[in-house]
Amino acid sequence: MLELTNLSKTYTAFEFGPLDLTVGDEVLSVLGPSGSGKSTLLSLIAGIVDPDGGSISLHGRRLDGRPIADRETGLVFQDGALFPHLTARENIAYAATDAARVDELAATFEIADLLDRQPSTLSGGERQRVALARTLAAEPRALLLDEPLSSLDTSIRRRLRSELHALFVDLDIPVIYVTHDQRTATALGDRLAVIRDGAVEQIDVPSRVLSRPETRFVASFTGTENVLPATVTDSVDGTTVRIGEFALRSTETVGTPTGSTVTACIHPTRVGVHAAGGVDTEATNTLTGTVDQWLNEGTEYRVLVSVAGLGKPLVATVRPAAVEGLSTEPGSTVGLTIPPEAIHLLPR
Amino acid sequence: MFPRQSQTESARRVDWLSVSYLLGALLLCYYLLPFVSLVTSQPLGVVAQRLTSPTVLSAASTSLTSSAASTAIAAGLGLPLAYWLARTEGPKQTLATAVVVLPLVLPPIVSGMLLLTIVGPETLLGRLAAENGIALTRSTAGIVLAQTFVASPFVVITAKAAFEAVDPALESASQSLGKSRLTTVRRITLPIAWPGILAGITLAFARAIGEFGATIMLAYYPRTMPVQIWVSFTTLGLDNAFPVAVVLVGIAVVTLVVLNTLGSNPFE
Repeated sequence: MLELTNLSKTYTAFEFGPLDLTVGDEVLSVLGPSGSGKSTLLSLIAGIVDPDGGSISLHGRRLDGRPIADRETGLVFQDGALFPHLTARENIAYAATDAARVDELAATFEIADLLDRQPSTLSGGERQRVALARTLAAEPRALLLDEPLSSLDTSIRRRLRSELHALFVDLDIPVIYVTHDQRTATALGDRLAVIRDGAVEQIDVPSRVLSRPETRFVASFTGTENVLPATVTDSVDGTTVRIGEFALRSTETVGTPTGSTVTACIHPTRVGVHAAGGVDTEATNTLTGTVDQWLNEGTEYRVLVSVAGLGKPLVATVRPAAVEGLSTEPGSTVGLTIPPEAIHLLPR
Repeated sequence: MFPRQSQTESARRVDWLSVSYLLGALLLCYYLLPFVSLVTSQPLGVVAQRLTSPTVLSAASTSLTSSAASTAIAAGLGLPLAYWLARTEGPKQTLATAVVVLPLVLPPIVSGMLLLTIVGPETLLGRLAAENGIALTRSTAGIVLAQTFVASPFVVITAKAAFEAVDPALESASQSLGKSRLTTVRRITLPIAWPGILAGITLAFARAIGEFGATIMLAYYPRTMPVQIWVSFTTLGLDNAFPVAVVLVGIAVVTLVVLNTLGSNPFE
């Protein structure tokens, strides 16, 4: 178990922590924008940077104050940080206790045929495989990964993400995976911590962080693009809120009195888009709007719909298979449905 | 129509890259011609005769041993300093770098004068050393002190740049794999920075073997090659100095070739 207690570090223009964090034998994804303190977190744990205060312990052993080499924390860098003057085999052997271990890891990461090549001749994905093999060769007691997939092509990233997932399942050590990519964070993390300005905004299982963000920042950073000001009009069996001219039902109870102002968060994936005549306009949480923009993002369409009287356009995502029957022309009318359980309410 | 027009235009355009190469070649000739002129102007017999002269042999031996010693000292002390400068930031680093550069901007004869105030026969250090049987002036030790002062900045400055070019993440990666700082520097940092370090060592050796101004202030005797050339020139004239100069050029060229063959990494 990796335990950070009251951990802090102050730079000239940035303050990290104080942070309390416990990571068991699990994968903790740390998600945050650039400059939020993600890399500082790893640097503090690995010993590259000394904290100003607090403590770090791994399986009950204090790490702070110890040199990097004595921490047993494996570190995987964004670009792999392979030693350029050594071959892939020599890179892995640098950390391995015996040659057999090199071959074993080479088989695991499917890099046996790359072992005699110099790092400069390897692709980004191959370099990261070698870097992972090298890190695991040292048999670390915790694994720290600093955006190892961020510089890879989408297809290679997907494949390696899937392989990492399989690898992490077999690793019974604390793993911290730092990224600014929400998909990678949710795909790999048993838990997800959203970090901002050196502090954890929310930490929970990924599905809960996505569906029930606790702050507006978490909501917007995890892809909840529809963040709307709302007023509570009824709090019986859930909550009815007024957004613009519309009364919408949420299954959530916010505990604030009628008339108070809240923020309604609706994830684009939860907004249903239908043909104009395909929805019952009298039904709960049903709206009609005009399409401003259809954006083909490959795996899904992103639709921007203006709803008169709502205050701001709604964003929805539509799977390609669901597009049939819908008019994708800007200006065309569509029906929108929002399930009551998809409206997440935050006190303002 | 279009391609023909394009070709005509490109033919008319001045090829600035070729012009710049030409300018570079001009400088290269300026370096090379005096060497060729010196070597070809001196009868081989005279050069060979000078080569066997005990005075010249002694000067050559003094130059080689003192330059090797001062370069070794420059590397031994300069590399740790260069590494510290490369991995440190702030006013201390800036000040230390300025101090390192100081001997480079001083006229060598002034460097010699400065050193005399520290290691001269009448100074505390000079007297202490003399009492223990070590002469810091008019000795090989004096030559080494003078050469180290003027030549070592080449090692420090060049190695600093070479160390700075090594990504600190590589050192962090090595240490996170359980290797100590010393092992990391030996197996990762030095091999990667080695070409730059070797360039610095080569420059330092070349500067040391050609050192005259500071050396003549600290140690007129034993004579190094540059001092011997100067003595030949002032006592017997330019014609007598030229063959000795050819010998020095020969030694310098052979030394540079040897150092360059060391370009293969000795740390691997």
